[in-house]
Amino acid sequence: MAKEVFYSGCAAAAYGAKDARVEVISSYPIRPYTGIMMELSKLVANGELDAEFVHGEGEHAQVSIAYGASAAGARAYTGSSGVGVAYAMECYSPAAGGRLPCQMAIADRALDPPGDFGSEHTDVMGARDQGWIMGWAESPQEVYDNTIMYYRIGEDHRVQLPQFCCQDGYFVSHIPGRMKLEDQKAVDEFLPPYNPPHPLDPNRPVNHGPQIFPDQGSAINVQRAVAFDEIESVIEEVVKDYNKQFGRKYSPFVDEYMMDDAEIAFFLQGAHARTARFAVNHLRKQGVKVGVARLRFMRPFPTKAIQESLSKVKAVGTVETSTSYGGQSRGGNIIHETRSALYPLDKRPIVTSFMAGLGGEIVTLNEFYAMAKVLSDAVKTGKANDSYWMNFEKEVLDTHK
Amino acid sequence: MAKEVKTQNLEMAKSLRQVTQDEWYVPGHRTCQGCGPALVYKLVSKATGPNSIFLGPTGCMYVANTSYLCAPFAYPWMHTQITNGGAVASGIEAAYQVLIRKGKYKGELPNIVVMAGDGGAIDIGLQAMSAMMYRGHDALFIMYDNESYANTGIQTSPATPYGANTTFTPPGKAVPEGKVLFPKDAPQLVIGAHPAVHYVATASVAYPVDLINKVRKALNYKGPAFLHLHAPCPKGWLFDAAKTVEIAKLAIQTGMWVNYEWEKGEYTYQHTPKEYKPVKEYMKHQYRFNHLTDAHLAKMQAFIDAKLKAPGKPIAVPVQGPREQA
Ligand SMILES: Cc1ncc(C[n+]2csc(CCOP(=O)(O)OP(=O)(O)O)c2C)c(N)n1
Ligand code: SF4
Ligand SMILES: [Mg+2]
Repeated sequence: MAKEVFYSGCAAAAYGAKDARVEVISSYPIRPYTGIMMELSKLVANGELDAEFVHGEGEHAQVSIAYGASAAGARAYTGSSGVGVAYAMECYSPAAGGRLPCQMAIADRALDPPGDFGSEHTDVMGARDQGWIMGWAESPQEVYDNTIMYYRIGEDHRVQLPQFCCQDGYFVSHIPGRMKLEDQKAVDEFLPPYNPPHPLDPNRPVNHGPQIFPDQGSAINVQRAVAFDEIESVIEEVVKDYNKQFGRKYSPFVDEYMMDDAEIAFFLQGAHARTARFAVNHLRKQGVKVGVARLRFMRPFPTKAIQESLSKVKAVGTVETSTSYGGQSRGGNIIHETRSALYPLDKRPIVTSFMAGLGGEIVTLNEFYAMAKVLSDAVKTGKANDSYWMNFEKEVLDTHK
Repeated sequence: MAKEVKTQNLEMAKSLRQVTQDEWYVPGHRTCQGCGPALVYKLVSKATGPNSIFLGPTGCMYVANTSYLCAPFAYPWMHTQITNGGAVASGIEAAYQVLIRKGKYKGELPNIVVMAGDGGAIDIGLQAMSAMMYRGHDALFIMYDNESYANTGIQTSPATPYGANTTFTPPGKAVPEGKVLFPKDAPQLVIGAHPAVHYVATASVAYPVDLINKVRKALNYKGPAFLHLHAPCPKGWLFDAAKTVEIAKLAIQTGMWVNYEWEKGEYTYQHTPKEYKPVKEYMKHQYRFNHLTDAHLAKMQAFIDAKLKAPGKPIAVPVQGPREQA
């Protein structure tokens, strides 16, 4: 039976994994994602979940254990935050290149220095180009739902890729929200058992990952790229099925709020979208035509959906909660791909990037109002800077006056 | 009671004649002539048979063994990073445990074997190896010891002997002996700290039946086991490629290598010579030691004399750390 609960993002992830019937779990402690493993270890200890719970000796091992288990034919689950995500870097490409669809829960966290527990997308954004599926949830419900959907997407034989199932540290991972746990039988119907085509099985010997010569490299790499060509239609299919089966209303890639008649838009992923919508409600009352477009998948980067959504407005601010030091915009990461997604359009909006919420700082309503002012000015003057570090630049501070 | 996941009892061979002629490590590799680690692979594969999954951390036995579309393994094999052989093995073993428990896999637990070099075992791969041993996964971790980071062009590793000329320890005016440090004792790292381990042994390509039987004994245990296998490397040690087995035998005759078993706390020794030859008899055939003076050889001899008082056990050796030397 489906059940209403009041869960944090960590508990939501754990119950998503449980209802996905994960078989091998590898853990290592780091805040804030630790809560997921604490919950799962209880479920295993109580006998509510029949899985091997392996205490990894670090994140590098966690990912190695998970993709090893996946290679042997078990549904595998792991997770991390911050420096832990960085520590496992070597293992991301082998998992994706080996086409081993294990899942890694991320409750994001700033990297060191400075030592900080706060949310920042920088940790796992650093691994975005390794061939993993990746996207952020904005609520515990979405964490639970994504956990289940990601397995079905990643394990689909047209895809076969591992998944970073991300949520904002603390803002989502530690703030309880009302949500629904679905009926196990219904989840089983939605998510068939993991059935890899080439497991490590002595009855059907296969070799995984032999050395190649350079002239074989492109031919092998292109296969990982082709999987990303297939994936958008798989995601659309899976999200549609999930919506139908469980009565949700997710759009596959871009979640829009008041975008239809908007002139300016906030473009972002994760929990700050909720504050952005509050800001929009307030600004709309003052006659500002502003909307929110929330990115649900960073990988695959949904170019077409972004073009459709953002071409409706005249100016877009990517609200960045990760860094790209020295990058083209001198701001964050999302702007770079957003701009290049919009570049082929005849009519494209001005795009700027707002550096906000770093180190887990709350992005306040006032900051969103300031962003809206910068964007409205950009519509009037036809130009904007590449990036604005919120609360550190004249244009932004002036708006507070 | 839970279903037994492993009931196998691999038989001990009395002679090579009793060892199967079937091969599961077949032609298709590119190892050097006289490669000791390749011989290890052949023997270990005969010992395990085909109900096995092998893991190859990066190193010669990955790079020189596998070419895409042409790999020499007739059982399932997977590359691992040089860093994570023990961790990937842990994941595979955990997967089989749960799949067997749930009835999703019908057979018995396969033999899960990590074939790591010295670097992949006790240097960059030490953490993953130790954790696999500690958690008690039913898998066999083999360290084939060619006494260097061979694949990258023969650099010093913690298994490289004192005095070796490697491409990171070239002898020169300021450092005449080349490598100044003495090696880590690999089996002790495992024996000394892992309560779930009941079997650790050393073996050498010089004694193939002994090597095969130790692999089988290790696999008959339910739980982790560690084997340290001496595997001379003609390219790295610079000796005649026809003499791999001879060099391995000389190592035993001079005490540079000792074959022993550690089984539930008890040590037994094999192939102990009546009288040890001087280490020089082993070293003089290898160009990597060619630059050493009598004083250096005496230092090596003193180290080996001390170790031979209790091989495989933690005892004092006459070694000064680099910061102690005036
Ligand atoms: C993380 C990482 N660092 C460095 C390397 C480079 N590397 C490739 S093979 C190798 C040598 C491995 O030595 P060992 O484990 O002793 O095996 P051998 O080559 O001697 O058989 C090294 C250092 C690597 N593959 N991965
Ligand atoms: S370098 Fe040594 S270990 Fe590597 S293939 Fe050649 S002989 Fe074998
Ligand atoms: Mg080596």
